[in-house]
Amino acid sequence: MKGASRYLPAIPVLLAYAALFGFGLLHPEKWQLVAQLAFYCALGQAFNLFMGMTGYVDFGYVAFLGIGTYGMAISISGLADKGLGLGVIGIGLILSVVFAVLLSLAVGAVALRLRGAYFAIATIGVNEGFRYLIEGARIWNGSEGIIFSSHLRELVGREAAMSLSTFWADVMVFGVAVIATVLTIVYMRGKIGYALAALRMDEDAAKVMGINVTRFKIIAFITSAALAGLLGATAWAVKLTYVYPADVFGIHYTVEAIIIVLLGGAGTLLGPIVGGLIYGVSKYYLAVYLPGFQLLVFAPVIVAVIVLFPEGTAGMVKRKLLGTALEKYIL
Amino acid sequence: MILEQLAGNLFQGVVLGTVYGMATMGLSLIFGVLKVVNVGHGAFIMVGAFTSFAVFEYLGLSPVFAIPVAFGIGMVLGMIFYYSSIRRLLKGPELASLLATFSFGVILEEGIKFLFTSDFRGFNWDLGKIDMGFTVLPYAKMAACLGSVAIAVLLYLWFNKTRAGMAMRSVVEDGVGARVCGVNVDWIYALSFSLGIGLTVASGVLLTMFVSVGIQPYMGGEYTLKAFVIAVLGGLSSPYGAFFGGIVFGLLENGSYTLFARIPGLEPFAMTRFFSFLILLLILLLRPTGLLKAK
Repeated sequence: MKGASRYLPAIPVLLAYAALFGFGLLHPEKWQLVAQLAFYCALGQAFNLFMGMTGYVDFGYVAFLGIGTYGMAISISGLADKGLGLGVIGIGLILSVVFAVLLSLAVGAVALRLRGAYFAIATIGVNEGFRYLIEGARIWNGSEGIIFSSHLRELVGREAAMSLSTFWADVMVFGVAVIATVLTIVYMRGKIGYALAALRMDEDAAKVMGINVTRFKIIAFITSAALAGLLGATAWAVKLTYVYPADVFGIHYTVEAIIIVLLGGAGTLLGPIVGGLIYGVSKYYLAVYLPGFQLLVFAPVIVAVIVLFPEGTAGMVKRKLLGTALEKYIL
Repeated sequence: MILEQLAGNLFQGVVLGTVYGMATMGLSLIFGVLKVVNVGHGAFIMVGAFTSFAVFEYLGLSPVFAIPVAFGIGMVLGMIFYYSSIRRLLKGPELASLLATFSFGVILEEGIKFLFTSDFRGFNWDLGKIDMGFTVLPYAKMAACLGSVAIAVLLYLWFNKTRAGMAMRSVVEDGVGARVCGVNVDWIYALSFSLGIGLTVASGVLLTMFVSVGIQPYMGGEYTLKAFVIAVLGGLSSPYGAFFGGIVFGLLENGSYTLFARIPGLEPFAMTRFFSFLILLLILLLRPTGLLKAK
């Protein structure tokens, strides 16, 4: 596929985000739901960038969100009295990406040497291991965490701090989602996408064909981690203005990311958005009827999806539209 | 003083490690035969712990009776999970079985939470304790340790003296060859999977002797991580390797706790857990075949 037309599949995704954003602006009473949906879509996209494209499952993924949250927390709590204003948020975003990338390099150095099951085993303890390092060595206040709402107020004033947490944090999540969309399509339509597709089918064959699979795996891993760091910094740090290690390293966020990607369709561009919307909306309504037991419903659904239609919703849509005029808009 | 403390902790480490070893045999058995990693391992241990709690608290029976009950529950769960999904995923990508076993874990956790709530529970099976001079060991822990050894011996006999056990070993060695020789490989897979789950759930009963008030739906996560460290120490696909890996891990865990506790400014409990994660990474990196086997 040549020229700009190969980027056409980004249109439905970006339209979906625009529609969601517009809906939120028109219905302020539903803004919380909209923000939650945007978070889930972005989480799915960030997770999909590695899991979907490589077929490797990173069970410790939430660690990247956690460390990103710390990046923002440290910036705000440490630089509040330096008179930098909103620049501190920018520094926090940069720091969260740096932290996430560093952690992904450390994890990747070990885990990406391993294949399949061994990779999963190496990553399953990353979030817990990191949490216990923070608590055990009392790094960044240890298990007490960092509460920085007063620093944020000191930084930008009471009103602005309020609107940062209740509105602009969510807008930033939309921003992360758009970045994730752009990165995903550039990767999928670029050399790396084809290399990873080959890897997903048969890693040995890909290697023999001269593809430097390790290099592409590392790029996808780091990118996915950096996006997670940004999500942690925006959706958790700026929005909640506190961070506790026990919260931000909880494995159930990894579970949610897996559910979203699988529901939508792993390795597709549209999938995580579809999955994120389905998951977010059903979780919202399940919270009314079955408070606290959403996962009891979703876990069997996931088994069913894996067994019965492993390609997910977007995968099915893609197959249905094959050969029609809409084909070039779906990826 | 420090030496006595260390000796005491290491002794306790061996006792706990033996139970850890038994708790990991099921994981290694399943990986050895089916090449499926049971990522929901800890949740099955949790089911065993709740079985033990229910038998003790609601039926008023000794936890000894909980072992066969837990083993039975595990066998049934194993059969259900195998025939409903694992069987169809064996030929698919690894990702599918990883995510499926992970989801089983979530189903069990949420199911138990639905039935028992997420409160912390516990019970105390008081049989008295034995004072060994350098450390004090409750008889209940001693019993758990001996029970683990007994189960390991039974498994050994099963693998060496029964037709089904030998068929399992043949499948591990050469699946196609076994099929040619008339072994019903599908049934061996089902049996191995449910035997592995049965052992794991039963081990949850034994582990409750060591956690007095820690029985809770999400208690398994910790054991999943520990079991992976142990399984990898033992070479991942050998149940006996796992058993000895468990003892090594028990020693490492208790030894490092004693050490971390003496370093000011550290939280020894959390550091020990971080340490076990580090061991996992190091072994995967340096000796992925396990400690016992040569490269």
